[in-house]
Amino acid sequence: MSVLVVASSKGGPGKTTICQIIASSVAGKLSLVVLDADPTQALTRWATNAYEGPPFETHAEADETRLAHLIAQKAEVADLVLIDTAGFGNRAATVAMTSADGVLVPSLAGEADVTEAEKTVKLVGALAQAARRDIPARVLLNRVRKTNLARHASKEITTAGLPRLEAALSDLVAFGEISYSGRAPDTGPASVETAALLEELRDLGWLPASRNDVQP
Amino acid sequence: MKPPLKSRRPSPEDALAIASQAAPAQPPAQVVPAGRPDPRTTLNLRMRKSTVDALEAAAKTRGLTLKLVVTQALEAAGIQVAPPDLEDRTPKRRT
Repeated sequence: MSVLVVASSKGGPGKTTICQIIASSVAGKLSLVVLDADPTQALTRWATNAYEGPPFETHAEADETRLAHLIAQKAEVADLVLIDTAGFGNRAATVAMTSADGVLVPSLAGEADVTEAEKTVKLVGALAQAARRDIPARVLLNRVRKTNLARHASKEITTAGLPRLEAALSDLVAFGEISYSGRAPDTGPASVETAALLEELRDLGWLPASRNDVQP
Repeated sequence: MKPPLKSRRPSPEDALAIASQAAPAQPPAQVVPAGRPDPRTTLNLRMRKSTVDALEAAAKTRGLTLKLVVTQALEAAGIQVAPPDLEDRTPKRRT
């Protein structure tokens, strides 16, 4: 029903971790299919070896042609198709963004991250124009610390005219631990930030609130 | 709450064509096709002792091997690293 792509042309801003957070938070509440378009298959390994919550369907597919068909097929049957992509500009990520209902672009506070986030958002705009459909993108500041650098990055994103989420994820151990524990944070600041992120994604219409909210 | 977006998703064929048209220079995500032999080889690097010391310190802090510290950083930088090179195969991790 909804195709949510997590993408950035730079490696390391937390794409896979954000997919882990979203997947572990909505599994069991929504019919979820996770597509791992990153050839490193980090998300697939996590889903197979570490994840402990309600089951969801996972496919590792980095070939753009097979991925395009898989997205179309799974979007027909799942409430949410969540797609993780590789950390460099590549065809699979581009095809996924073309098919997306929303593109989440994680960014750290560094200059390189903000620059690559801007490139990714521009690419989404070009794809939307070519596809003649609205493909909204939002930058999500990740591993935020209360520093001048983070404030500067936030200002740079605003100055560049990049759409960003109000929600942000702090540099919390709980988010790093999810890759080993396989469990979504359910207490403390990480839980609060996760809830705020999911709420904003629901407000954007990128996440159905529950199975009852899914339109036929 | 806004209603969910209506599905105006392009067909797989159209998505491939649009992606190719809008970003024609993009490389494939996977250079080595699945199933194709990817033999092991070695890479020896000559570098300053201080760099190696820093690597060893990072490895100790994170509980990783030197190779994993390097391959994870390469992967984070957008270099395509083969999945087996991101796995900790040391005996202590296999128990």
